[in-house]
Amino acid sequence: MCEIETQVVVIGGGATGVGILRDLSMRGIPALLLEQGDLAHGTSSRFHGLLHSGARYAVKDAKAAQECIEENKIVKHIAAHCIEDTFGWFVYLKGDDPGYLQLWLQGCDQAGIPVKEVPLEEAFRLEPLLSRQTARVFEVPDATVDGFKLLWANVKSAEKYGGSYRTYCKVKSLWLENKDIKGVYAEDLITGEMIQVRSKIVVNAAGPWSAEIAAMSGFDVHMLKNKGSLLVFNQRMFNRVINRLRTPGDGDIFVPHETVTILGTTSQMVDLPDDNQVREQDVSYLLEMGKDLAEGIEQHRVLRAFAGIRPLYESEDASEHEGRGVSRNFALIDHEKRDGVHGLVSIVGGKLTTYRLMAEKVTDWAAARLNVTTACRTAEEPLHHELPADVWNKARQLLGAAAADKMMERLNEEAASVIAVIEKQPELGQFICECEMVTQAEVLHALQDPAVHSLDDLRRKTRLGMGTCQGTYCTYRSTPMLKDAFGSWERTLKEYRILISERWRGITPVLWGDQLRESELARALYLNVLDFKAVESEE
Amino acid sequence: MDVRNELTARLDACQKCNVCTAQCPVAKVNPHFPGPKGLGPDMERFRRGQFIPGETTLDDCSNCKTCEVTCPSGVKITEMILEARRAARKGPHKTMLSLKLRLRGYVLGRAEYLGKLGVLWPGMANQALKLNLVRWALDKGLAVSQKGPLPAYGRPLEVIEDKGGRAGGAFRKQVIYFPGCYTRYNEGDTGRIMIKVLEHIGYKTIVPNFHCCGLPLEANGQFDKARKNGLYNLELMRPYLEAGVPVITSCTSCGLTLKEDYPKLPAPGAQMIGAQTYDLFEFLWQLHEKRELPLDFQEVKACFGYHLPCHLKAQGIGTPALRILRLIPGVKIRNLDAGCCGLSGSYGFKAEKYDKAMKIGNPLFEAVNVGVERGDFQEMLTECGVCKVQIQHGTSIPTKHPLRILAKAYKIILE
Repeated sequence: MCEIETQVVVIGGGATGVGILRDLSMRGIPALLLEQGDLAHGTSSRFHGLLHSGARYAVKDAKAAQECIEENKIVKHIAAHCIEDTFGWFVYLKGDDPGYLQLWLQGCDQAGIPVKEVPLEEAFRLEPLLSRQTARVFEVPDATVDGFKLLWANVKSAEKYGGSYRTYCKVKSLWLENKDIKGVYAEDLITGEMIQVRSKIVVNAAGPWSAEIAAMSGFDVHMLKNKGSLLVFNQRMFNRVINRLRTPGDGDIFVPHETVTILGTTSQMVDLPDDNQVREQDVSYLLEMGKDLAEGIEQHRVLRAFAGIRPLYESEDASEHEGRGVSRNFALIDHEKRDGVHGLVSIVGGKLTTYRLMAEKVTDWAAARLNVTTACRTAEEPLHHELPADVWNKARQLLGAAAADKMMERLNEEAASVIAVIEKQPELGQFICECEMVTQAEVLHALQDPAVHSLDDLRRKTRLGMGTCQGTYCTYRSTPMLKDAFGSWERTLKEYRILISERWRGITPVLWGDQLRESELARALYLNVLDFKAVESEE
Repeated sequence: MDVRNELTARLDACQKCNVCTAQCPVAKVNPHFPGPKGLGPDMERFRRGQFIPGETTLDDCSNCKTCEVTCPSGVKITEMILEARRAARKGPHKTMLSLKLRLRGYVLGRAEYLGKLGVLWPGMANQALKLNLVRWALDKGLAVSQKGPLPAYGRPLEVIEDKGGRAGGAFRKQVIYFPGCYTRYNEGDTGRIMIKVLEHIGYKTIVPNFHCCGLPLEANGQFDKARKNGLYNLELMRPYLEAGVPVITSCTSCGLTLKEDYPKLPAPGAQMIGAQTYDLFEFLWQLHEKRELPLDFQEVKACFGYHLPCHLKAQGIGTPALRILRLIPGVKIRNLDAGCCGLSGSYGFKAEKYDKAMKIGNPLFEAVNVGVERGDFQEMLTECGVCKVQIQHGTSIPTKHPLRILAKAYKIILE
């Protein structure tokens, strides 16, 4: 068994977990983050990609609204490279409830969310697909955020300050002695090795898995697991986040995200934290809902559907128990106060937009117990590093503007070394993934990352396979590199199968039109040309 | 009905199969060129809504349209690339071309003005363009390749006004001829022969004082001027279009522009122009199908190689010239089918593109040379003026418009 000693163990490599790791590290507190899969494999990558202004909660949840607008400003400042400052529109349709509109305007005003009305004519000019049933349009400072980039930026920053993390490391039990937390026991899922981590504090930031973690020692954290399904359209249909101005409901947000548009969501209670299969009926329901906001939505190509699990916290005194009714606030559960266990804290609920604030609260709590008085600096210190102009110019000269810009955003400080490689060997500048313009050099660079254990990890890191063809071409194109990285053909083929199956899982609910043609092309390629064998799906 | 504009709809249709890139003549010779799929639908997804400044490879596309012909999903690839170029010129972060390149775009785009200048004193213009010093100056001053085969000027084609009063009135059989700048200023002879051929088969030809069709302007970034020309030409044609008079082209690029681009212009006549425009041989073949084409051919004992211009291929009408010429006793034609000549309008004239253009044309040059060496043919035929210039430049084999063979068969010209 491997033994590790640290001050704080953070369980969960989602946005909240990495935010905590960074904050702890910046305050000089040694910390280790354990994640059962890859970073951001759960809720933090299975969402709209929306950085809320808070306007969505302005009527129902004043506190969430206020937290959102404050954090919105902070995240835009500290993580500019993960944000596209698109702004968001709240669209009030003919026949919508005027009473709600008034409440919404008041709510935004009280929360400090700036609202500007956009003249209709201008609105239709700027967003030609906007429903002709639109009566009024209001602009708020919504933005889009790349969950993957945000997570990695936090992790990289934490590492710089001495923090560390291990992926594919599943916590098996909490180590308790006489109501004192001593650490955790975990298993390295890659090597099978057991790990004993000794620490003074354990932070449970496992999102939808938080209840399972707490239950390991018999504590009850009452989580609601709420599945939200989303659709990915093949291109940017809108240039702003489009919200419906009404009581938040299903299928009423469109988010332009990089090259695609995401429409969501549904809201459905589920039992398992990884129940993220989207059903065909969810898809038709979402399209039906989306029709209200967008003209001709059924003509647009849908690439895939995906779902995430909202870890909603149901506090003991909550009166409403339905998904959207539950507060989007977060809660810090001090198990010392609640269960008499020293050193254990759970952080539950919340939203990606408020990840930093959640991290700050947890870190304040931990610092107080460790007698560390250093103040939080995560609201001021930027996560990204301004790259010198000559690096940008070189990248654009070698790769073309579109590809270079996206790569620089993904790699940030690491970009310079990849660009140097391409400069030396220009053939490594060829695209492995053409849809998302990912170069061979970047793939090779990512494969060297000790945290990349699989093709699916590589996908999250590079966006390889996330574009129009959904892995049809890039997967086999990366063969020689995967073989080198993973060692054997058997392993390489297994990685193929996992990635293609995962892509396929998202495509099956949207098999019509152009996406059906693409899938048949992919099937022809893999089953006939590459001689893969089809496996019957299990239901 | 699809409410989306065509580019948006077609963007969704792209299956990422790369057939277009496999067929792209530029991608074949330039490994740094992202290819039609890369520059078109791939980057288009990045360009939507977020302007990406500084995409220099946009100018490497030669606008030959092979990709659009090839695409199994009907994606308007060249159009996407042209749109992106247009946006790059207009955008808030205008692509900053050097003064030299902007000036070159201005000059090469204006085949018409150059033509008007050139024909003032063709002998002098041609002599001047042969001077090394002049070519050196063009290369240094305008980045127009010193080696490129600039076409010579000749006696311009005369405008023939409609003297019959009301359009379509006096003569039952009338056509409008859109000669294009090349025929008008560089090869007026071909135009005059064409008018005689049309007369021989019973048509009166009207040649209004058209401006350049706009294609060279588009290809050189002069989008506003191209649009203005289109509107002007359409207005000249309108009364004839309304009277049902067909428009004939002998230049394949003008033909493609009239058929594909003009219908999109916001002008009366735009709805008619596409369906009423015919390539000369397409027109003749239709007459032949109706048994209205006189077949009083004399025997022409000769063998020819034939090159199909990219912009004729893009019209989707096959090879009507071959069909017609094969009606003439004695004529033997071999369709070389060796791909793009590389010149593509004014692409191959550009200093930085000259070598690539020659490389693109290489398979064609080789096919021509092999055919001549084997004795298969002694001369080349092709409809497009600049293809002709490029083939002669790459092989020194005499090349001419297929119309001349027809005119010979009709005993209109001697050779």
